[in-house]
Amino acid sequence: MPIPQQLGRGDKMGRGPYEKSGIIRDNGLPPNKPVFENFEIPFPAEFSKKDGKDVTNILDYDMTVDIELIYEPFGDKDTGITWHKVTRKVSIEKGGV
Amino acid sequence: MRVVKSLAVFAMLPLLLLLSAPSQAPAVEERKAKSIEELAKRYDSSGCKQCHEAIYNEWEQSLHARSIFGTGRTALTVATTVKVGLMSWKYSGVKKPEDVKVKHVMVCFKCHLPQIAEATDDVAKEIVLNSIRYGDKDASAGEKDKIEKHLSKVSINCLVCHQRNAITHKWVDGFPQQNEVYGSKEGVHADAAHPLIKKSPIMGESILCGQCHGLGPNFELENPSQCGTLYGSYLWAYRAEGGQESCQECHMRKSKLGHNMQSYNDINMGKTAVDFRVETLGYIWRDKAKMIPQTLVKIEMINRAGHAIPDG
Repeated sequence: MPIPQQLGRGDKMGRGPYEKSGIIRDNGLPPNKPVFENFEIPFPAEFSKKDGKDVTNILDYDMTVDIELIYEPFGDKDTGITWHKVTRKVSIEKGGV
Repeated sequence: MRVVKSLAVFAMLPLLLLLSAPSQAPAVEERKAKSIEELAKRYDSSGCKQCHEAIYNEWEQSLHARSIFGTGRTALTVATTVKVGLMSWKYSGVKKPEDVKVKHVMVCFKCHLPQIAEATDDVAKEIVLNSIRYGDKDASAGEKDKIEKHLSKVSINCLVCHQRNAITHKWVDGFPQQNEVYGSKEGVHADAAHPLIKKSPIMGESILCGQCHGLGPNFELENPSQCGTLYGSYLWAYRAEGGQESCQECHMRKSKLGHNMQSYNDINMGKTAVDFRVETLGYIWRDKAKMIPQTLVKIEMINRAGHAIPDG
């Protein structure tokens, strides 16, 4: 969203339309330019030490990820509108070296 | 018989002159509207429904049809503008809501009700007092309902886009006239109040919408502010980068919404506006000797709209 500058001065965002004059920055999606977002989500696991070595006990090897693009015209999820929703099942291998 | 014919010719002359008179001057300066009721009457477009029913019904669904009241939020923002903004500023000349003049509310109404320029300060006051009352905790549901109905009498209706704002370059194309409406063709218009239809050179152009959908601070105001910056984004981030479509192309034609020109309220507009691609990868990250299982989610989004999303 274009973050409006309060009364066209300084570093504060203006809120009401009566005080918005300028743009501090825009963190929205510009037209016709790709925007990338990466997220790293840990699998559930327990970490411990055994004989001085790190041990990872993976609790689940499968994960279902819901990725949603929600437009929030009023800045909250309650009034948000889901434009896209993608569900992916992700797995990690059991065993290995 | 010859006399009768001559009379008929003379009688026709003023009419022909009227039909062909160039619109070189602003529409006749009428007495300014003194109430919402009077302004609503002046901009009454209910008659358009008779011949353009489908279009009228589309418009009724649009936000343009409730530009002052909105969902209640617009009216409340008008109230906030007065109470939090105007009344707190030392030099605004507004100490109480009753001090409000048309020039004070132009920050909102330049776009939400541009025809208020043809109204007295009493109309500005009437809208402001109703908006404030609507937000009062002790206002009953019945009273709120009455206010909603009252404020909804004025809006961005047919006559705003197809008459008042239909010509941007008035020195080139002439001033909009009150007996004319403007569209995509020229001719006679079967409406006693607007017997002529003229071609607006901008009816299919984005500049028509740009009059309200914003470039940034409105410097013509004594205290500039901006509500929308969408047209600025369209010009500088879309057209300047090679984009070629108009507002009407996406919001009316491709969307098949016609005069119900929605944006995020229409789920399909949102879906088609952004390409959304997702890749996932499960793997085990090794942080020194520690094994950390995780999922990488890679998202690529391309905004296909003619402006930034979200807009401002």
